[in-house]
Amino acid sequence: MAKNIYGILAEFDTATQLVDAARKVRDAGYRKTDAFSPFPLHEIDEALGIKRSILPYLIFAGGITGLLAGFGLQYFVHVIDWPIIVGGRPHLSLPAFVPPAYELTILFSAFVAVFGMLFLNGLPSPYHPVFNVPRFALATREKFFLVVEAADEKFDHEETRKFMETLGAQEVFDVPE
Amino acid sequence: MQNLDQYKAPADIAKWRALALGVGGIALLAWAVGAYMNTEQALRSWLLGYVFWSGIGIGALGLLMLQYLTGGAWGVVIRRTLEAATRTLPLIALMFIPLAIGVYTHSIYEWTHLPADDHFIKDRWIYLLPWSWIARSVIYFVLFLIMMRLLNGWSVKQDQTNTVEESRLVLEKASRFSGPTLVIYSLVVTFASVDWVMTLDPHWFSTIWGFLFIVGWALSCLCFTVAIMANLSGRAPMNGILGKRHFHDLGKLMLALVMVWAYFNFSQFLIIWSGNIPEETGWYITRMAGGWGFIGMVLIVFHFAFPFLILLQQDFKRRAKWLATLAVFILVMRIVDMFYLIAPNPRVDESIVESGVFYISWMDFVAPLAVGGIWLWWFFGELMKRPLVPAKDPYFEGAVEHGRGH
Repeated sequence: MAKNIYGILAEFDTATQLVDAARKVRDAGYRKTDAFSPFPLHEIDEALGIKRSILPYLIFAGGITGLLAGFGLQYFVHVIDWPIIVGGRPHLSLPAFVPPAYELTILFSAFVAVFGMLFLNGLPSPYHPVFNVPRFALATREKFFLVVEAADEKFDHEETRKFMETLGAQEVFDVPE
Repeated sequence: MQNLDQYKAPADIAKWRALALGVGGIALLAWAVGAYMNTEQALRSWLLGYVFWSGIGIGALGLLMLQYLTGGAWGVVIRRTLEAATRTLPLIALMFIPLAIGVYTHSIYEWTHLPADDHFIKDRWIYLLPWSWIARSVIYFVLFLIMMRLLNGWSVKQDQTNTVEESRLVLEKASRFSGPTLVIYSLVVTFASVDWVMTLDPHWFSTIWGFLFIVGWALSCLCFTVAIMANLSGRAPMNGILGKRHFHDLGKLMLALVMVWAYFNFSQFLIIWSGNIPEETGWYITRMAGGWGFIGMVLIVFHFAFPFLILLQQDFKRRAKWLATLAVFILVMRIVDMFYLIAPNPRVDESIVESGVFYISWMDFVAPLAVGGIWLWWFFGELMKRPLVPAKDPYFEGAVEHGRGH
């Protein structure tokens, strides 16, 4: 097994071929795999056995944090630190606290959504070995790619390459590190 | 092209139809007895049922135009059901007659009794006289009926087309009509909701009122449609059409409308609370004390917080039966919301119940059943008349495919 190989990349013409191939790769027992397509493919998650993202739960937690932060900030400012009577209302005036608390809820959930998504995807990623294959640039245009990483337990350069060639790929490449 | 006969509604809808008529008929008799005993209460209860059920029919008109504008699979699969709901508009106009009589005989709205030197009566002058109020409602119905006839006419035409090009032309016509008409629709709903409900308290006003009803009625109609869809989804022909993703999309729309409903209601409350002007706050003071205050809390928790938290979950939205159960629950809350808007208002005859005191009459249960039973009977009749899906729509197959995905 060559040390300087990141994995093996297969190029496909259509999304259906990619999904079929992904199923076969998963059935063959490979786990460290990834697929690339010019547009989102909902079927690929299931085909490659990608688990559902925990992002929604993180966003919910972010929202709750924002809500509490918004109420907490106002409570601290208006009731504890600097109580001033405004318009004859009590210091703790919940209706007036709602809009800022609501805005912070949205702000925090949006931040968690964006940065959490980047983090979970391992982005930003300035270098990725798949770009060492020149044809991979077509992944943003019209071609579909499937990669099996060398880090996979089942990976064996010769055998995996032979297996990938049976998947109906247009071409199979070694991806240098 | 598709054979339309395979999309006929299942025959057992006729049973539901008979059941609806039976319940509605009995409730109507009971209501008639009530109307003989206490006309004002009977009319107020009728208004409650009327505003709720007509909201589904009128809301269907709005959602129908909305889905023509936005496109999308959710709109294609529910389009014929929405159309059936809009075709109840003649009945809705008919069921308005008791209210018109009530206004004409000065026995439902307090403003028909105010002295001529009351500043409200003076300032409204010719705008708020029984005849001008009734005349305006006639205009609303004429406009609604025109929209309904045109939209349904195009849908019939589309079913008769033979090629994709012809069908696309009809669709484009309906979409072009829907944009500007949705603006007119919003104005008509605003005027109608102000006339029918807001004038119950003649000295109070709110400028977001129309939007409370546009959104509330859209939500009612959407929940009603989800319940119908879930019920049809288990059997032919809809079992081959509706998929998880359709319910997921409809659930997302329910979530959005639940949130907008809360947002608009809170906007109205916050502005009045901040302004703290006597002529505005009275409306909320009544509604924040005693039994009315309790109902207000029920609405915050069960019309907003509870459905909101449940609808956040993806798995819930994808299960037709669960989503339909929540939809029916929201529909019940919609009646409670209408009760909250209508019932606490000042009464013409204060000998029965003083203004602001919590009071619920047995007719508040019977009248919505009477209006609803008859309305559903009409609705199911209309639903059976046409195929359940626009099978000749150029986007129909794509919409069915969408539901099968993940």
